[in-house]
Amino acid sequence: MSDERLEQAITHWGDRFTGAGVEPADFGEVTSSLDKWAQWCEAWSEMAGGHEKLGRQALADGRLRSAGEHLAQAATYYHFAQFVFLDDLAQAEAAQQRATRCLDDALAHLVPPGRKETVGFEGSAMTGILRLPVQGAAPFPTVLLIPGLDSTKAEFRRVEQSFLDRGVATFSLDGPGQGESRAALPMRADWEAPGGAALDHLAQLPEVDADRLGAWGVSLGGYYAPRLASTDARVKACIALAGPYTFGEKNWHELPALTREAVRQFSRSASDDEAQRFALTLSLEGRAEKITCPLLVVFGKKDRLIPWRDARRLAEETSGPVELLLFDDGNHGCTNILYRHGPYAADWMAAQLGAAG
Amino acid sequence: MPDASIEAATSHWAPRFVTQGVDPNDFRRVTAGLERWEDWLDAWSGHGDFHDSLAGEAAAAGRDRTAGEAYVRAALSHHFAKFVWVLDMDKHRQATRRSVESLRSAHRFLDPTAERVEIPFEGAGLVGNLRRPGGQDHPPLVLLLPGLDSTKEEFFHWEQVFLDRGLATFSLDGPGQGETGYALPLRHDYEVPVRAAIDHLSARADVDLERLGVVGVSLGGYYAPRAAAFEPRIRAVVAVSGAYDMGPRFDDRPLISRQAFQQYSHSADLDEAREKAMRICLKGVAELVEQPMLVVTGKLDRLVPWEETRRIAEDAPRAEFVAYDEGNHVCNNLPYLYRPLAADWIGEQLRSL
Repeated sequence: MSDERLEQAITHWGDRFTGAGVEPADFGEVTSSLDKWAQWCEAWSEMAGGHEKLGRQALADGRLRSAGEHLAQAATYYHFAQFVFLDDLAQAEAAQQRATRCLDDALAHLVPPGRKETVGFEGSAMTGILRLPVQGAAPFPTVLLIPGLDSTKAEFRRVEQSFLDRGVATFSLDGPGQGESRAALPMRADWEAPGGAALDHLAQLPEVDADRLGAWGVSLGGYYAPRLASTDARVKACIALAGPYTFGEKNWHELPALTREAVRQFSRSASDDEAQRFALTLSLEGRAEKITCPLLVVFGKKDRLIPWRDARRLAEETSGPVELLLFDDGNHGCTNILYRHGPYAADWMAAQLGAAG
Repeated sequence: MPDASIEAATSHWAPRFVTQGVDPNDFRRVTAGLERWEDWLDAWSGHGDFHDSLAGEAAAAGRDRTAGEAYVRAALSHHFAKFVWVLDMDKHRQATRRSVESLRSAHRFLDPTAERVEIPFEGAGLVGNLRRPGGQDHPPLVLLLPGLDSTKEEFFHWEQVFLDRGLATFSLDGPGQGETGYALPLRHDYEVPVRAAIDHLSARADVDLERLGVVGVSLGGYYAPRAAAFEPRIRAVVAVSGAYDMGPRFDDRPLISRQAFQQYSHSADLDEAREKAMRICLKGVAELVEQPMLVVTGKLDRLVPWEETRRIAEDAPRAEFVAYDEGNHVCNNLPYLYRPLAADWIGEQLRSL
């Protein structure tokens, strides 16, 4: 294996894949079969197809619990087939569509089930998945789950579960530049706009307690969530996991080529320079201090994509109560030590929102 | 360089650790620095202590679910510390005790209705954990049988697959297994302890013994059909990667596995162990399994060749056989294939009664 992009994908994101529910043996099988990045989308789509087939068969056999699990897993694999695959957009789009279809078909059979919601936004629409805790009664405290540059709601089943288990409803959103919403809406820095639209939508749902809303974001979502909290008082508690303070300010040229190219395409920039200029607009400068709700910042010092000092700066500048969980051995997203922070963060959010779970 | 025993343990069983709930990064962290098999138990016990302490912190802060999840990981670490590690039986017992305690603590937080059931048996006792699905008064019951070196402490997530599908579970430490194994040696006629367990459970009103299934993995994939052959109260069977005739291939097994067999069968040496392994044989027995049976294995199984497991299905009159091309021993590298299948299948069998 000498393909640099392939190597970067495997070394940067292996733990993220398995943490999101990719079977380690599947990860090993797919990645060891590849010698060129160009094969990535096809190989993962093929592996995803195996899970989809299991799911479709289980549906036909009336094994609905299994069907939901298989189809959700297939969606995760299809998503990873395309997540930063920018060489062949037709292939990537096909994988994205299959991820969407598998997840759509899984939703009714998940426990608790998921419901697709369409959030009108700027003449277009964003899609999200609402799930309500099994225990407890509506209206539920609800957390908005925000993906990052190349993550989407397709990889959030386990994150959702950690909140649901603790009595907090979840709304996993594909915002501008993300997943299902990407084709219509380019990536943008001012997440108070799409995030605010999502909160508008949630606030009018009878199952959701509009007075107990939280926001959680991972990677660039770890910037989007505090950005939203800095202007929108409806966010009562915020978790920023592995987010930048100012994206690419110190390390743009050290980022993996795949990451920079993803920023360029998802923001519809013409060049790498333009993409970098766009990235620099993802900044909490002058905004962090406007955050007044409780904030939990989680970061790993072994993060190779975002400098860990960004997390400390956010924690220093926010105006409300803040807790900084900084792990010496955590990678980007701390996906290599999930149990150290995932349950803690879910507990924290449940406590902030007064969940009964 | 890790020694041959560590090499054998990690190469044979890494996917099993992860499937049962050990964090994949933890597996790497704990095993990365290990070179001598002598150090295996201490390394995993120490890791169990770490998860116990995380659990204790969470419990003290009232974060119950987090505490429970950490206790499950602690129980697994303490269990895998000694699973085939039999160099010092005092340490082995200590690890077993810690594993049992951690899982009991996990139950308190995650499933307070889980119940420890002690069954008097041949002057000693069998021990099992009974768990029931929510929302049902009288659910079908599935006995989950461990194998040579697995125990009920390994089964929290395995149980969940059945519970999620509305089935109660009873994970049994039988002779030679877990806390039961110190007093009672491994035995080939596993229908005897299973009969005692069913007798004991049949007094209960909260599970339906008329709809009783048995599911065994690895050596439990031998025990399950063996028990079903002689115990008609068992109505359906799943056997995963079981041996049909263990003796002839005994010496092909990794040394640590043979040493574990020697210990758990209370044999004086490997020769005596091999002799006892000769009795682990379903010739003339599998054909007596008249219940519906699902036999599952993987074609990459290096401990029990898949063709051997197939013989169980060939002899039994009502067996279905599934062999996954890419599956290893117990298909623990492909849990999403065998686990939902086993639970869906036995649930359907028991509900059709």
